[in-house]
Amino acid sequence: MDLSVPPDITFVVLTTVTLLAAVMALQAKELIYGAISLAISFIGIAGFFVSLDAPYLAMLQIAVYVGAVVILILFTIMLVRREEADKDEAGETGESAAGLWLAGLLAVSIAGIAALAGPNLPATPPPANLPVSELGPVLAGAYPVPLIILALLLSGALLGALVLAKVDR
Amino acid sequence: MPSLVSYIIVSAALLGIGIYGLSVKRNAIRILFAVELIVNAANLNFIAFARYMNPPTVSGQVIVFYSIAAAAMEAAVGLALILVAFRLNSTIDVRKLNKLKG
Repeated sequence: MDLSVPPDITFVVLTTVTLLAAVMALQAKELIYGAISLAISFIGIAGFFVSLDAPYLAMLQIAVYVGAVVILILFTIMLVRREEADKDEAGETGESAAGLWLAGLLAVSIAGIAALAGPNLPATPPPANLPVSELGPVLAGAYPVPLIILALLLSGALLGALVLAKVDR
Repeated sequence: MPSLVSYIIVSAALLGIGIYGLSVKRNAIRILFAVELIVNAANLNFIAFARYMNPPTVSGQVIVFYSIAAAAMEAAVGLALILVAFRLNSTIDVRKLNKLKG
């Protein structure tokens, strides 16, 4: 990584942007703003992919998530009546607190286990030379069957979505 | 570069945010947001672990390739289901979609 800024600052900035945008996606008053925050969070994840030497995956993340999934969500929000889409009362306060406890406990326990195992985990990544051209042979050479199943699954999902969303007259 | 543990902690935080949304939110579209956040947390872990392996491998990237494709179709089918649910019940509040309740 030969960025002009020290790498740790990029990591801190990416973490802040990703996590804040993720919280905003769930807590924004209007659903449209939530969808845009979700897109920003996905772009932050793509930044992590770039910093982990996976530029092709970062491109795919932006093309598929930001370009397709978020746009699809925006169209759905516009198709669902507006006052209905924005309605999102958080339920009773006890329920909300229970969700917060559950999520916090889970995240803290995973982070705690990782921190305990920290001395055994690599602190610095080994020097890597992972060109994008190496991805193709592994994808089509080592895992050809999952690739074909994925193609069938994609066409099945496309047909299923069409059949579900079709209006009978 | 930061250590592997810092990536795991970021991923755990993202998972926690997703679980919170999944358990508390009532709007079906917001629940879909939470599912996407959880999938992204898993993807980040795959890429980070593959990068820190010795020697580094592209297998993690291949798995994330599949995962992104699967998440895209999950979103397409899920949004189509939300549209159908809205057309039939004129609400997307998951607490009110309880027709199957006896």
